[in-house]
Amino acid sequence: MSTLQIKKLYTLSSENRKFCFTLPLRNKIRIGKRDYVVSLKSDEKYGTYILWKNRKYPVEIIRSRQNSYEILFNDISYTFTVETPFSMKRMKVLNATKKKVEQESVKAPMPGKLIDVCVREGAVVQRGEPVVILEAMKMQNEIQSPVSGTVTRILVKPNANVMKDDLLVEIKVD
Amino acid sequence: MKIKKILIANRGEIAIRIIRTAKQMKIRTVVVRAAVEPNAMYLEYADEIYDYSEELPEIPVFLDIEKIIEIALNTGADAIHPGYGFLAENAYFANKCLENKLIFIGPDPDSIYKMGNKTIARKIALANGIPVASGSEGNISNIEEAITLADKIGYPVIIKAASGGGGRGMRIVRKAEDMEKFFIIASKEAEKAFKDPSVFIERYIENPKHIEFQILGDKFGNVIHLGERECSIQRKHQKLLEEAPSSALNSDLRQKMGATAVKIAKAVDYYSAGTVEFLLDSDNNFYFMEMNTRIQVEHPVTELVTGIDLIQQQIQIANGNTLNIKQEDINLKGWAIECRINAEDVQAGFAPDPGKIENLSMPAGPDIRVDTGITVGSSIISSYDSMIAKLIVKGKDRKDAIKNCKMALDKVWIKGTKTTLPFFRMLVRNQKFLEGTFTTAFIEKDIEKYYLNSEYEEMLAAWLATKMFVEENLEENSIQVDFENGKEMSPWLMNKRMNQF
Repeated sequence: MSTLQIKKLYTLSSENRKFCFTLPLRNKIRIGKRDYVVSLKSDEKYGTYILWKNRKYPVEIIRSRQNSYEILFNDISYTFTVETPFSMKRMKVLNATKKKVEQESVKAPMPGKLIDVCVREGAVVQRGEPVVILEAMKMQNEIQSPVSGTVTRILVKPNANVMKDDLLVEIKVD
Repeated sequence: MKIKKILIANRGEIAIRIIRTAKQMKIRTVVVRAAVEPNAMYLEYADEIYDYSEELPEIPVFLDIEKIIEIALNTGADAIHPGYGFLAENAYFANKCLENKLIFIGPDPDSIYKMGNKTIARKIALANGIPVASGSEGNISNIEEAITLADKIGYPVIIKAASGGGGRGMRIVRKAEDMEKFFIIASKEAEKAFKDPSVFIERYIENPKHIEFQILGDKFGNVIHLGERECSIQRKHQKLLEEAPSSALNSDLRQKMGATAVKIAKAVDYYSAGTVEFLLDSDNNFYFMEMNTRIQVEHPVTELVTGIDLIQQQIQIANGNTLNIKQEDINLKGWAIECRINAEDVQAGFAPDPGKIENLSMPAGPDIRVDTGITVGSSIISSYDSMIAKLIVKGKDRKDAIKNCKMALDKVWIKGTKTTLPFFRMLVRNQKFLEGTFTTAFIEKDIEKYYLNSEYEEMLAAWLATKMFVEENLEENSIQVDFENGKEMSPWLMNKRMNQF
């Protein structure tokens, strides 16, 4: 990719909010009629942070895959995809032809021990119905089905220790 | 003073809290070094450390009754403070201490047993004319019995573990069809957590406030209360923020509930510090829920409004002293709020987020107290609870305390795990919280978003993502890095990137 061809970048949040930045990327952001300096800093005491309007905000890059970034900013995580004007166009075309999701997987939201599997393969579940019970840090957590559908595969057994994001159950969406 | 040396059968902030008072009382302290956190902060504060870090026991040493007794005897301690959690409400352990001529800093084993078994506690309350929510007389043994009773008292009902506490083994049932499922879950959870599958059923009080009274009693039958704590801000029955006093109580209701708390404590010959928990409905009817026979996590808010050191009182009472405070001496002054800053992911429904604390800085000031057992380099590990620190803030009234709390929250700096801070930043700006009209249903029903962020924050995060993209893809001689491990390498990486910019 050459810098010369690209004039701006679109940064899209997972909740579909769009931020547009012109290139070359400046360390100033315009709010209303004023420019505010944003700077990325790091030191021994605070670690990495962003300084904005005389206030420090802790930041961390949690994950980066191709053009997708998960940023932890002031204890809240955001996932963005950064698109060039070309990839943005391509994405729009793709989205228009994209089919509905058919398979949904339930993943472990945290590391822990699996106490119980509440469903069987082939069972019909409603959205919000508990599918497994996971114990982590003194608490039992019901992991609920994100969709209504049919359980196609159970990948774990009770008493198993699971890691964060381990695949637990697969559900075919109705 | 008979007590000269205390073994603290606990860790973290509560171990440090106990040591602080023991030092003032010129009592020596012993703590135990466990293999899972051999460099924990609490170890630095005690006079003596018993090193148990060579062993990798199956159960935490703080739950090992025989071992704790052995350590106390070997180190020449004459008393044991159990803190909260672990063995704090284990009647068998308290009794073992007495058998070994060790002073247990807490109530009599018999009081622990009676109040620890919710079914017995309920019977005692009923026998003493103390209001309880209608429900089963004893334990419920099967699903049919549960359904018959629930039909009689009316839905919704709550299934509770007889030996329960801390929200485990509890399920709310709204319709008969759900009874079977929840009865099994509650019973299993109770069996696992408390080695006792028995459960009982009560009418579920909708949208109550959780109000608890701190009491103190001595071995001579004197019992007083130190006012209430408002603990309605909870999720999954786990408290997140506590206040003292509560905006729901006037002095009449305070006196009435306080007298009831004293009455139930006297009914079990209670001594030491204890907490009587009530549910308060919207018509100001209150119901006895349970009594906690230990020092509680949220005890600092009571200390800040009464000026009484509860740990000191526990030690003096255990020593056999007469209570040196009378009911008329108790004056609540000002307002205190405690925020439990836990390593939890607010965006993932408060899921625990264990990790290593990379940076930490807490505010300080005359209105601020921070109780913590965590420092830079400490790890929040999944074997223990997720607490990082308790931020306790005082003000001359509720409004003032909230204002101070808001400022203090902005000065907390923690890196390494996600925390409950964004939740508190939202809470101190929430209208219902500011009015004080919230109930235990607040987190589930009254808020749309669990955290606070401004549009600028998201925009700044977007700027950072864009910056990363530009550097990786568009700049000449961009460094190629494996971002899979981005978190570990971030300070170094970021430095390098910044210098380029």
